[in-house]
Amino acid sequence: MGTIRITTCSFMLSLLLVGNAQAAWTLNLTPGVTEISRSVYNLHMTIFWICVAIGVVVFSIMFWSIFHHRKSRGAKAHNFHEHTLVEVIWTLIPLGILVAMAVPATATLIKMYDPSDAELDVQITGYQWKWRYQYLDQEIDFFSNLSTPREQISNEAQKQAHYLLEVDRHLVLPTDTKIRLLLTANDVIHSWWVPALAVKKDAIPGFINEAWTRIEEPGIYRGQCAELCGVDHGFMPVVVEAVPPAEFEQWLADARAQQDAAAAAAGRSWTLEELMTEGEQVYQRVCAACHQPNGTGMPPAFPALVNSPVVLGDVERHIDIVLNGVQGSAMQAFREQLSAAELAAVITYERNAWGNNTGEAVAPSRIVQLLQGDGQSEQEGGQ
Amino acid sequence: MKETLKRCWQTVLGVLAGFFGVQSEARRERDFREGRALHFIAIGILLATIFVLFVILLVRWALSLGGA
Ligand code: HEC
Ligand SMILES: [Cu+2]
Repeated sequence: MGTIRITTCSFMLSLLLVGNAQAAWTLNLTPGVTEISRSVYNLHMTIFWICVAIGVVVFSIMFWSIFHHRKSRGAKAHNFHEHTLVEVIWTLIPLGILVAMAVPATATLIKMYDPSDAELDVQITGYQWKWRYQYLDQEIDFFSNLSTPREQISNEAQKQAHYLLEVDRHLVLPTDTKIRLLLTANDVIHSWWVPALAVKKDAIPGFINEAWTRIEEPGIYRGQCAELCGVDHGFMPVVVEAVPPAEFEQWLADARAQQDAAAAAAGRSWTLEELMTEGEQVYQRVCAACHQPNGTGMPPAFPALVNSPVVLGDVERHIDIVLNGVQGSAMQAFREQLSAAELAAVITYERNAWGNNTGEAVAPSRIVQLLQGDGQSEQEGGQ
Repeated sequence: MKETLKRCWQTVLGVLAGFFGVQSEARRERDFREGRALHFIAIGILLATIFVLFVILLVRWALSLGGA
């Protein structure tokens, strides 16, 4: 008993000390880096202090009454059924407080819901479990995947500072620019949430929700998916990188060059070794979450790829599954998520890793053909 | 005629007290003694409609102030 009490006590003490040491650790809302986030923060604080004041007044009266009219002093309960005047007063006061709070809250809401005159449009699409960012009119389109290594998640490596809040590609945005965000989802409902921007908006399949932001300070702002969306809901963070407009122009140019390079890469011929090296990277980044780093999967939910009849069998069927997914299962269509070279590389990797020795290489040019061919037949189907 | 108007007015007051949530026992008893259920329902629907219209106007007005 005694030891338990002592350990509990020192545990509480250490909690207090840790609380002091980590000044950055905070329970309160962040004031953020936009005009909207600041007014949300101010509203929150105003309402918080109103609640504190009400609490103090109500509980003071209550405790004073209990103490002052205690039985030992011979207090007698006063029996009455109703008192219209008192009831009217205690209805009118809260009504007045609510209206007083509604006025500034409405002013903020109206501002929040006005995405007009935006200078940049970004479409954000939620996928299980990653975000896709498309800069409309800028020809930039990419996926942003969690980049925390699997070893940290499974406690085989030390967890780093931005554990589960880091991605391979940031959503880069210019500062001092009104940016309209168009939110939707590909599979189930997600919610795009970045506290520092005071943006939290549902991303719903088949709907487009609007939000906007105007970031005032360059920096990196992290957020998460805020709508329970499946097993890896906690593994699809948001990372916004705000940079000055000139730097943003430079980033746009670089990102376009990178996309062009990826397209060009698909056109040249690749050796089996090159495909295997690239394929392993793609596999670990995109596929390992379900099929596991060593290809053993997690049957029955996620099939093993080692000795899989699909992977060892007809290459056309293998390509079809990876490009188009399996309807109604967690296996998504990767045709839009990966470049042709990445698709070819990851399929080649699966056919030659972990003892799957087919010796077959899938050429990126073949995937390019398939993607283009399908595109045409889709168009014809639509006519 | 004067009597009907007075009744009508009392019903309106009774419904408004219901909206507000506070009513004295004496008035409640009078309403139950003199009032007609159908009148209360009709006036209740009417006042609820007016309240909804009022809220719509209020929102329009707030939006026009906000410049949206
Ligand atoms: C979100 C989880 C998930 C991810 C990520 C994922 N898969 Fe799958 N995969 C599945 C599931 C579930 C199936 C089984 C589908 C079915 O047949 O019902 C599957 C099936 C497959 C199959 C067929 C295997 C067989 O034996 O039926 C291949 C090949 C495959 N995936 C390749 C990939 C590749 C390549 C990637 C990465 C680019 C990938 N998968 C990423 C969940 C996933
Ligand atoms: Cu999600």
